[in-house]
Amino acid sequence: MSDLVQYYPMFLEGTALTILITVIGSVIGILLGLLFVMMRLSKVKVISAIGRIYISVVRGTPSMIQVMLIYYTLAKSLDLPTIQFLGSSLDRIIPGSIALGINSGAYVAEIFRAGITSIPVGQTEAGISLGLSERETMQSIVLPQALRNVLPALGNEFITLVKESSVLFYIGVQEVTAQALAVGGTLYNFIPPLLVSAVIYFILTFVLSQVFALMEKKMGAKYTRLN
Amino acid sequence: MTNVIEVKHLHKAFGTNTVLDDINFTVQKGEKVALIGPSGGGKSTLLRCLIHVEGGYSGEVNFEGQPVNHASKETLQKLRQKMGFVFQQFNLFPHMTVLENITFAPKKLKIDDPKAIEAHAHQLLEEVGLANKANAYPQSLSGGQQQRVAIARALAMKPEVMLFDEPTSALDPEMVGEVLGVMKKLAADGMTMIIVTHEMAFARDVADQVLFMDQGKIADSGTATHIFKETTNPRTQEFLAKMMD
Repeated sequence: MSDLVQYYPMFLEGTALTILITVIGSVIGILLGLLFVMMRLSKVKVISAIGRIYISVVRGTPSMIQVMLIYYTLAKSLDLPTIQFLGSSLDRIIPGSIALGINSGAYVAEIFRAGITSIPVGQTEAGISLGLSERETMQSIVLPQALRNVLPALGNEFITLVKESSVLFYIGVQEVTAQALAVGGTLYNFIPPLLVSAVIYFILTFVLSQVFALMEKKMGAKYTRLN
Repeated sequence: MTNVIEVKHLHKAFGTNTVLDDINFTVQKGEKVALIGPSGGGKSTLLRCLIHVEGGYSGEVNFEGQPVNHASKETLQKLRQKMGFVFQQFNLFPHMTVLENITFAPKKLKIDDPKAIEAHAHQLLEEVGLANKANAYPQSLSGGQQQRVAIARALAMKPEVMLFDEPTSALDPEMVGEVLGVMKKLAADGMTMIIVTHEMAFARDVADQVLFMDQGKIADSGTATHIFKETTNPRTQEFLAKMMD
């Protein structure tokens, strides 16, 4: 046990990196999700087809292969900085986070699609009947309501992303799984460090689910406020 | 008198099913027009064509001399701003307060400065009897209250015409009166109105022109006195007899 304790800086660093790549990944995921759901719902057939293809390709291939493909492609074609950050170099963290975002974007797009189609068409009609443009109606009337409806599903997706971020181990990002394996290697015993990493993932996802539960409660309460 | 709305040879079909068949009528400034008739007769579809939330029809719809059906997106947006629309299901925005529901579009479209828009909104809430509900969310209101907010929301755009699509059909009977009251006041103030309704007494008392629609056609039309007292059209008589039961 005391052997394990001396490695706590590695676990801290790994945890910080896991949080970082997940945050970047989910921000990219939300932006791409929004972009692709708009493409998917577009009346222009070509644009809609591109959205559909992106979503089905990402959902139909393993994230591990996506991450490696994106890493090797970006590493080959771009001159990314090799500065070290939280024990990993940026030329691994950057493509890794982007890959997570691209992966998450497809799932977020589908979540948003379900949310948008759940809003009654009367809301859109009310918006345009007031003279708002279709775009303004989507932005200010439909999307805010859709977002509220999909909050639970979105929470699930980010919880998945926290765990999924462990695949960046394969491209040498020293996130918490990679650190646990490194510690295991030096101890010649993998079970204790892997248990530690499992506890760390659990704490992260638990906190995240509580945050989302709170947001849901807050948004729900607002809707029913009396005068 | 000037024609605010002109409809000429309007025809619309869903697939092979004709829902509007050669509709012709004009609405003058200040006129109240009631669209009555059996369900599925095309009344709501016609009303929705006027504001072009329903497209895909042939013929002409002109608003103040401008064609609605060939308008560019921008022109259409401008035209819609001049036509207030009240839906059967209210369609208030649930994520906004009553006040925000009313002020959102006028502010976004900058029809006036924000302070004037808010003052106007409060005045409208006063007029529909909901001055104390400005900060409530729609879900906390009764159906009748929601519909009155919806009317205020449409009026906030300072429209030339108000279109009502069965505004009391989704309401509990005891709430119908409060909504019709607001509409009567609006009519007395000189607003041009087109109303799809099953409230025959209201149509009789308020309408200058009554259009009886059946199977996609205007089967009978004229003044309220004509339709409710003098008509010899058997379909109209049959329909009214059923409604008055």
